[in-house]
Amino acid sequence: MSFSWLAIWQGLPYLLQGAGLTILISAVAMLLALVLGMITALLSQLPWRLPRGLTQAYVEIFRNTPLLIQIFIVYFGLPQLGLKLSAFLSGLSALVLYTAAYNTEIFRAGLEAVPKGQHEAARSTGLTPLQEAIYVIIPQALRISFPALGNNLVSLVKNSSLVCTIGMVELMFVANDISFNNFRSFEIYGTAAMLYVILVLGLTRVLNLTEARVLRKGLAPSSHSAA
Amino acid sequence: MDWSVIGKNIGYLLRGAVSTVEISAAVIVLGTSTGVLAGLLRFVPWAIVRTGTGWAVEFIRAVPLLLQIFFIFFGLPAIGLKIPTFPAAVLAMSLWMMANTAEVVRGGIQSIPRGQGEAARSSGLSGLQTMRYIIFPQAIRRMLPPFVGLCTILIKDTSLAAIIGVFELTRAAQETIERTFRSFEIYLLAAVIYFCLSYPLSLLAQRAEARFHGS
Repeated sequence: MSFSWLAIWQGLPYLLQGAGLTILISAVAMLLALVLGMITALLSQLPWRLPRGLTQAYVEIFRNTPLLIQIFIVYFGLPQLGLKLSAFLSGLSALVLYTAAYNTEIFRAGLEAVPKGQHEAARSTGLTPLQEAIYVIIPQALRISFPALGNNLVSLVKNSSLVCTIGMVELMFVANDISFNNFRSFEIYGTAAMLYVILVLGLTRVLNLTEARVLRKGLAPSSHSAA
Repeated sequence: MDWSVIGKNIGYLLRGAVSTVEISAAVIVLGTSTGVLAGLLRFVPWAIVRTGTGWAVEFIRAVPLLLQIFFIFFGLPAIGLKIPTFPAAVLAMSLWMMANTAEVVRGGIQSIPRGQGEAARSSGLSGLQTMRYIIFPQAIRRMLPPFVGLCTILIKDTSLAAIIGVFELTRAAQETIERTFRSFEIYLLAAVIYFCLSYPLSLLAQRAEARFHGS
């Protein structure tokens, strides 16, 4: 078979829709993973051993097992225990749990990187521990965490391709679907790869620009890469 | 729940784990050797080589590994280049490893203060000698923690080879589930085995990081 531009032209509208879904899934998963990651990171800062141990275990387990296995456990394994989730919910929850484990580590490092003086100054001006956390520590920790969170978002966009294995529709699923039907797998996968490159490099660019803004106020900047 | 299914099938899954380790080792050897080379190419005096390598590395790193595997296994045969499952998976993962190692090498070399290179050149060393004796030996210590981290990601990502039918731990789990229908227990067992492979490396990476920052 010779190279067919027509196959690309015909597949492109569907692939673009798939790319849109990839963006949507990544955005929703990242939002949820930010909330979950923040909660677990704060739990890890509590003075008691139990929440610290539990969050540590969560982070290490989800970071040291393959995302694919996590997706399979949620989608194929949990129904056996009576918890049956749709492909969409299974894929999404696996992506959120996996990404949040990395976010937890990033937030934790961010919280611990806020200088001690900030804590002392906040307390000596009469803030309660809760006010100290909300108004002084967390905003600074977020700013410190921003570059690493951005890298994690870029990884998430690429990792979201794995949910095609359980039939969740996104760019990778659409690419499989088209090429298994018209056998133009070279052209279709090639086009999908291009779309991922545009997505990832575009996102990296946006993150770098945002980061320059976020970090303008005196904190050491660090640059993004497409990891 | 039926835990006896684990005892009966753990042998088969461990055979899969052996394949996972073998695949990882092959990919680490292939990907690291080419990746160090690609990383060093970012510092040669010829702009066209530097830019070309840079673009290739960025491109490979921007595409999900699963898509690379599918492109090599399903895409290349469409233009007449047929590659069996095992070499296709190893090739795709080695490309991925190469690009990411190249990035680690570039980062490590760039983290060495400029003065080191300038001092070496002004004491009469050639560009190649400067890299060989001054820059690279210092940079390699900084490359080690992220490189070990990369290896843990690779071990987990070898699970993607199962999707095109390569026999390794995830494939062994899938085959076992096709026979026993106990997906929860078997995938959990697979997860535990992956954890045992990956966690020691994670600890090593953390320790290397701590030691680097300590010194």
